[in-house]
Amino acid sequence: MTEPVLAVEGATKSFPGVKALDGVDFVLRPGEIHALLGENGAGKSTLIKILTGVHLPDSGTVRLFGEPVRFRNARAAIQAGISAVHQERNLIPRMSVAENIMLEDLPERFGFVDYAAVNERALLWIERLGLAIRPDQPVRSLSVAQMQLVEIAKALVLEARILLMDEPTASITPHETEVLFGLLKQLRDQGAAIVFVSHKLEEVFELCDRVTVLRDGRNACNGLPIGELDRADVVRFMIGRDERTAKLGDKPVDAADVVLRLDGVATSLGHAGIDLELRRGEILGLYGLVGAGRSELAKALVGIGGVTAGTVTVAGQPAVVPDPTTALQRYRIGYVSEDRKGEGLILIHDVGRNIGITIWRRLSGWLGWLGEGRARAACRPFVEKLAIRTPSMGQKVGNLSGGNQQKVSVAKWLAADCDILIVDEPTVGIDIKTKTDLHELLWELASSGKAILLISSDMPEMVALADRILVMGGFRILGEVRNDHDYGRMSTAIMGHIHAAEAA
Amino acid sequence: MLKGIWGSDWFGLFVVALVAGTGLALFQPAFLSPFNLYVLLISFSLWALVAMAQMVIIAIGQMNLSVGAIGGLVAISFAGSMEVWGLPVPAAILLGLAIAALCGLLNGVMTHVTGISAFVITLATLSIFKGLNIGITEAQPFYGVPDVVKAFGNARFEGLPHMLIVPVVAIILIWLLFNRMVLGRQMLALGANRHAAELSGIRVGRVVVIAHVISAVLAAMAGMLAVARLQLGQPTIGDDWLILSFAAPVIGGAVLAGGHISVIGTCLGVVIVTLINNALVLLGIDPFFVQLFLGGLILIAVGLNRWRERRLAPA
Amino acid sequence: MATATTGRGGRGALGLLASNEVGLALLIAVLVAIFATVNPGFTSPFNLFALSRVMGIDMVIGLSMMVVLVTGGLNLAVGSIGVASVMLGGWAMQVAGVPVLPSMTLAVAFGAFLGWINGQLTVRMGVHSFIVTLATMSLFFGAMIVATRAEAFNALPRSFVDLGKLRYGGFVSGMLPLALIVGLGLWLFFNRTSLGREILAAGANPQAAELSGVRVNRTIVVAHALSGALGALAGLMLAARNGAALPSMAGHIGMGWLLPAFLAPVLGGTLLTGGVVSVAGTVLGAAMVTIITNGLLQLQIGEFWVQMCLGLILLAAVLLDRARSVIAERRRSVA
Repeated sequence: MTEPVLAVEGATKSFPGVKALDGVDFVLRPGEIHALLGENGAGKSTLIKILTGVHLPDSGTVRLFGEPVRFRNARAAIQAGISAVHQERNLIPRMSVAENIMLEDLPERFGFVDYAAVNERALLWIERLGLAIRPDQPVRSLSVAQMQLVEIAKALVLEARILLMDEPTASITPHETEVLFGLLKQLRDQGAAIVFVSHKLEEVFELCDRVTVLRDGRNACNGLPIGELDRADVVRFMIGRDERTAKLGDKPVDAADVVLRLDGVATSLGHAGIDLELRRGEILGLYGLVGAGRSELAKALVGIGGVTAGTVTVAGQPAVVPDPTTALQRYRIGYVSEDRKGEGLILIHDVGRNIGITIWRRLSGWLGWLGEGRARAACRPFVEKLAIRTPSMGQKVGNLSGGNQQKVSVAKWLAADCDILIVDEPTVGIDIKTKTDLHELLWELASSGKAILLISSDMPEMVALADRILVMGGFRILGEVRNDHDYGRMSTAIMGHIHAAEAA
Repeated sequence: MLKGIWGSDWFGLFVVALVAGTGLALFQPAFLSPFNLYVLLISFSLWALVAMAQMVIIAIGQMNLSVGAIGGLVAISFAGSMEVWGLPVPAAILLGLAIAALCGLLNGVMTHVTGISAFVITLATLSIFKGLNIGITEAQPFYGVPDVVKAFGNARFEGLPHMLIVPVVAIILIWLLFNRMVLGRQMLALGANRHAAELSGIRVGRVVVIAHVISAVLAAMAGMLAVARLQLGQPTIGDDWLILSFAAPVIGGAVLAGGHISVIGTCLGVVIVTLINNALVLLGIDPFFVQLFLGGLILIAVGLNRWRERRLAPA
Repeated sequence: MATATTGRGGRGALGLLASNEVGLALLIAVLVAIFATVNPGFTSPFNLFALSRVMGIDMVIGLSMMVVLVTGGLNLAVGSIGVASVMLGGWAMQVAGVPVLPSMTLAVAFGAFLGWINGQLTVRMGVHSFIVTLATMSLFFGAMIVATRAEAFNALPRSFVDLGKLRYGGFVSGMLPLALIVGLGLWLFFNRTSLGREILAAGANPQAAELSGVRVNRTIVVAHALSGALGALAGLMLAARNGAALPSMAGHIGMGWLLPAFLAPVLGGTLLTGGVVSVAGTVLGAAMVTIITNGLLQLQIGEFWVQMCLGLILLAAVLLDRARSVIAERRRSVA
């Protein structure tokens, strides 16, 4: 067996309120592609960030070729021969593709940047990734998928011994993925060690040699050869044995009672010809890859990004929604954002102020007067209903765990008592128990007569909850699947629509 | 190529400056008089350095309220060290630059180490630098400026003031910095996306500190030129730089959030402001209107930039 | 009157002691004790009257900045608005012969209007209020100077000038209670009304607030208008003290107010990033600044060094505050 290039021993890292890593081990060998798996919040990203010098571990050691190392910043990691594709966008929009790719190490001549060399060296990797773009094109003129590939080129150009890839395929097409995988395998055969993080298990089985799974900041397994595992094993490692399936009873859907209807809707964000019907008591799924335009459609429905053509009908009446205030107050549409921290919650405010925000206007009296006691009292039932674990209504939301934060962002909309609820990736980054709770809650809400539009990239979640599933891609509806809750059939049908669209 | 110029930040400004200049020349022959042009170039020299000092900090996505205070402090130190200590001119210049570098170092290190916004830090240092200035001078000017300095302030060559050489060299160097040098590109990357810059291995702290030092040194040059021009070490030098320092880069198309500046645009911004000032004087318009115009100009420039951004942005 | 948005759940007496407001109050007590011991003149009724008068004015200036800081914005034009409004009020009183109270109302309304312009420009153009108010500070001041020809109104009605001489208990200027009442009103506004709460929410996270049905743009415009009105009020107070409405009373283009305007809220713990307000902190911050200025002037430090001392204090205060939050963060992650 070859010597490991990189070995993590007992890495521990705490953040305020959470222990992200708790004694994690990880061993990477040359010439392998090593899958690092785990649910959101399991600690993958924290581990990656330790390896790239963004965080320092509280305890534990990282060994590079046997030598203990401590990366104080990203620069130190890069110089040690570790390059990474990060989950978030890290490009400078106004700079050229080539300059972005070469930013780590811009070639110089006589103290000045040698742009000819920059373009030439970048072009090599642009071509190897099969990208049809010019090196001197500004990054802001690219599509999301192209940017993702530039991001990958930026990591590859360093020709590092160790390559960390955090969700590199999230927004690229199957074809682009195939090219990328070919390249990664080639690099592996040349001796590079690659860490591959992905949610798509199919990709992991296609590409990777060994698997390490994290769960709740600990190792669920450590470097098992992929050949010895099947999909069910990996899933069991990821979610643990104590998975409780949500108890979902019967739920009548009143097919005649259409509460939201879109006919040929186009938006300023780029949607075209969107038809959709959402009925009372129904959970309608909206499935698609990142960049398919699902969240954007949701936002257009609540008035962010205008509807430019077609008609929106709410409860039988034609509706014009200029802004979220009108969506909430007149049409009773609420949107639970996928971006909890950016758009869902006000982290520096307390629980009461986060939940109450949608109902202050309704509660307040003369001159907008609203006492703190009255405001909090109105929120309390929802804290109880969702079993939000918080010491008090005065606790800052930023200090709660991810699961409880998500509950707060849902509680806000329960308090608002909307008829139509658009729920965007409700269970990303939260623990299994809360996830099950939320599934039951959504089901119960639909049973009690709400109409729910569920946006999710989590196929099992989709198959468990939705009555019908609309497949989206390229800001269009690609097709509809009537859900019979059979995972295999449903995922085949859904992927079928996506592949068909791509082939066309 | 032509399309590149047309689409550049500064082409519109260039046309505006050209039209304004031609218009002035047609309606006011005095505009083209050698003396008026000389006066114009003198104020351009000073303003251009002030604008560059702010622009460097805008590039990294911060702001420097203490540009004027640094300029003022250096100005009185420069004049004072020559009058009181009898320092030779080159030594006094070096002293001025060293003080500026120290001020910039203080601004840069404190913003970086503490993570407090540059706005607050430079507001505090503005007060400290200005306070030092007032404390040292007791609000009285230093009159004992050596003749060499005074002569430099008055000297001209074929109608061009000698002091023009300082901003011209500075502008060329700053242009090279932001367009051709790794450090400058790193500053812009940092201004556009700090996190991305960090992950790309850029030494953010070092770049921030250097930017602040460059900014302070530019402000110092402006302060010393002001001494040469006024022929005395006036403690109020720098008091009225703040608005102009932001106006010119913003007119020139800089993005206040960081990551994008235009050296040529900023210079044209200075030219336009100088021309307007000059026009008000030449056309006998109340000098009180200057403030009004400057304020309006910033709003129009920002509005135009936004409009262009929106138009250029992919749908 | 603790930091408005956070209940201090579970932090107990120790947490309260460590709060910004209590820290400031203690610091003020210590400063007063030192100044009073070193220089008996500090506690003379005459000095206390002068001190409380300036204190009241600086508090209102600080509050005027605070209401915009809460939105995550700035208002560099406070001084310009203050002066411009007062010049209009002064003109109304002295030249147009409008009675005092309507004139003052006019001035405050005009301040609110100028603030409203700032708010509208910020929202419509979608640029940071820094650049907008930088421009309008020049614009408003320039327009005022052009309109007044830089001449003062120094024959203001007696009844207005007498307001500046109002004193309670022999040594407290009427300006101080007025400022405290304004502060109380703002505290109630931010903590006990739906609009105030919405302004805070929008300041903390505009996207989240917008998606939750808050009209973020409106909150920004309201905050700027409120800031303008408070700036005008501070201007009126200053004019009453001076006995005249002077174009120069806020320094060059109104920049003379900027330091007190930022010092008070920043010392008081109002975040520049928005969403957190401390009215009590702002009031105490302003009090501390005035006490230090006054005390230093009395101590023969020389008026020329006062500004540097203020700068050093601001720097020390923000550094201390930063250190405190870093330590608190560490403690929390260890626990």
